[in-house]
Amino acid sequence: MFNALTDRVVRELKKIVGEKNVICDPEKKIDYSHDEFSLSDIAHEPDVVVKSNSTQEVSRILSLANEEKIPVTPRGGATGLCGGCVPASGGIVLSLERMNRIVEVDRYNQMIVAEAGVMLMDFYPRVEEEGLFFPPHPGDETAMIGGVIATNAGGARAVKYGVVRNYIRGLEVVLPSGAVINLGGKLMKSSTGYNLLHLMIGSEGTLGIITKATIQLLPSPQMSRSLIIPYENLKDAIDTVPELLAKKIMPLAVEFIPKDVIQITEKFLRKRWPSTLGSTYLLIICDASTEEQMDKLSEQVAAICMERNALDVFVADNPSKQQQVLEIRSKIYEAIKAHTLEILDIAVPRAEIAQHVKRVQEVSQEYKIWLPTFGHAADGNVHTHIMKAVYEDGHIVPLPEEDWKNKLENVRRELYRDCKERGGVISGEHGIGIVKKPYLSYVLDEESISLMRGIKRTFDPNNILNPGKIFDL
Amino acid sequence: MNIFVFVKRVPDTESKIKINHETNSIIEEGLNFVLSPYDEYAVEEALQIREAKGGQVTVFSVGPDETRTILKKCLAMGADEAVLIKDDAGETFDALRTAKIISHALKTKYTEFDLLLFGKQSVGADSAQVPSMVAAMLDLPQVNVVTKLEIEGNSGTALREIEGAREKVTFMLPAVISAQKGLNEPRYETLKGIMAAKRKEIPVVTLEELGIQPDELAAGLELTKMESPPVKESGKIIEDEPSEAAKKLAEFLRQDAKVI
Ligand SMILES: Cc1cc2nc3c(=O)[nH]c(=O)nc-3n(C[C@H](O)[C@H](O)[C@H](O)COP(=O)(O)OP(=O)(O)OC[C@H]3O[C@@H](n4cnc5c(N)ncnc54)[C@H](O)[C@@H]3O)c2cc1C
Repeated sequence: MFNALTDRVVRELKKIVGEKNVICDPEKKIDYSHDEFSLSDIAHEPDVVVKSNSTQEVSRILSLANEEKIPVTPRGGATGLCGGCVPASGGIVLSLERMNRIVEVDRYNQMIVAEAGVMLMDFYPRVEEEGLFFPPHPGDETAMIGGVIATNAGGARAVKYGVVRNYIRGLEVVLPSGAVINLGGKLMKSSTGYNLLHLMIGSEGTLGIITKATIQLLPSPQMSRSLIIPYENLKDAIDTVPELLAKKIMPLAVEFIPKDVIQITEKFLRKRWPSTLGSTYLLIICDASTEEQMDKLSEQVAAICMERNALDVFVADNPSKQQQVLEIRSKIYEAIKAHTLEILDIAVPRAEIAQHVKRVQEVSQEYKIWLPTFGHAADGNVHTHIMKAVYEDGHIVPLPEEDWKNKLENVRRELYRDCKERGGVISGEHGIGIVKKPYLSYVLDEESISLMRGIKRTFDPNNILNPGKIFDL
Repeated sequence: MNIFVFVKRVPDTESKIKINHETNSIIEEGLNFVLSPYDEYAVEEALQIREAKGGQVTVFSVGPDETRTILKKCLAMGADEAVLIKDDAGETFDALRTAKIISHALKTKYTEFDLLLFGKQSVGADSAQVPSMVAAMLDLPQVNVVTKLEIEGNSGTALREIEGAREKVTFMLPAVISAQKGLNEPRYETLKGIMAAKRKEIPVVTLEELGIQPDELAAGLELTKMESPPVKESGKIIEDEPSEAAKKLAEFLRQDAKVI
């Protein structure tokens, strides 16, 4: 199906990007064989890693690969959680890391034009410098602009401000043939033909390589305040969320987090969470433009929480205190990573969250496996962590491999089944990649998948672009 | 127990500080100001002592009107009263000046106290002098950089950090204590606390009311220049075959860095 990479092609690649931007050294290539998905089973080494520096170079690489029938897998920050940037069929990994320039800040249109390899940790400060705001915020800031667009990433602030898709106005894309197309532009509106821009967003590197993006920004909110709200039980915490929505209260973020993972992360970071009360927390972040608005909003939130048996409402409202709270929230992943098998990314209608989480707890008991579950409560996106351990008396106790190996598959299926019953999807923001591919048909009908296959063939007749992802052809 | 805590409003440690080189001062626009973190330990300690022994916690700050926000924070944490000693001089970096104002207040208007708590230093000025100066001016016992404090009757025991060890000091009340990180874990305010603090009056006293003559506060210190610390240079990467690279590294460490 694919051709092997020959010395001649490597020489061609070196001509395009320069000798030192073509990596064949096995020791260095190994870094490009995986993403942040935990199990090494899915890792696969590329035959060669190529680091492009311009759209032109990307175009030449793709047309060469297309002619030679060599697979190309685009790679951003490799923070993905489903093997999306893993070169499952070998071939070329095309890393966008050198294309890391901010091309333009357009104050009049409030848009920024950035290359695909700009890391979020460089992007946010640049946006803030302009007094502007890019709401989507995936938890790992080493992700890159191209990657967050290709996965249609979300993050905690999606409740109020939506996901990456809502902010992308234009894309420069290189097609597998090497053709460069420009989709959208600095536009707020367009009803001009099929929307290929949105087809590209979330396509996980299977339709084209994103080289540049025009991104909508917002004026930054004046102030924010984090409320940390302990509850005696998870049910009360989660039941609070639909109440907030029903009363039309719109915080920036609503996260629910169990106490066990908070305590583990406190130890890991040697930092302290604002409260030791209860068994579950809601972390509600509010934004407002005046102090009066902020007080009113937080009092409304607090009243609803207290009605639902919250134990108290703690406040972090200066930047360093908020930073401390957010750091604990975002480092939970690292603190439990060594024991994590997989992070699920189920999204259900918001009103179904409580029932779904209840099911997770039942499955955890049935299978005697630790399934810490937390996530973006108000947008229905639940990250259940399937662990190769149990959690007893404040300690993580690893399970033997034979034990978790069997459970993993069963737990996935149980939870995906529940997700389907509630009208949910198996990925809210991480994408399908390789890991979730076998379960796509749980939530999409055969007709839809078949249309998707057709689209893939139209864009990429030789199937060279990130083959084996999302679905098989 | 009547406990007084002295606190300062400082730029948030997360802020990026910019300097106005013409006025030799920090550009305050866009900066967030907070209760100085060491002062937060002092407030927390006062609250814990009150919770254990009863009494009253009053928080003082010397500064302009904007200082109210951090006094409100102390009230939200649970302090009983807060007093603003209004001084519009701005950041003078003059610890002697602050110490004089505080000791004046304690000699003339706020004379009833058992314990004076401070942060070991304010972030920003970082002079770490005010607590000791106040103790000297009032002729009170003092223990600085305290990581553990116990009060029993009219005396107390404190552990303080010294080079490579901890020193245990016993003292009589009233006394001056300055708080070091580790003394406790400051509590977060509750929303209820914050809203109650908003409604609470903060009395203001002026320097005149304390009977301080302007010439008493004549500058003891002159600020000649303000500079940002030099930017850290990025690391040096030695690219070569491992055996060659190791040689070059050793040479660099010996000759350029002079560390081996
Ligand atoms: C600690 C942690 C927290 C996270 N939190 C969140 C979160 O809150 N919300 C969220 O949505 N995700 C989250 N993620 C997942 C991950 O960060 C996102 O999926 C992110 O968008 C991936 O970006 P990346 O640059 O790392 O992409 P990669 O992992 O490099 O690639 C992801 C996919 O995009 C494709 N791709 C990359 N660049 C391009 C390009 N230029 N053109 C075309 N295709 C491309 C790849 O082929 C692959 O299929 C988290 C991950 C971690 C490790």
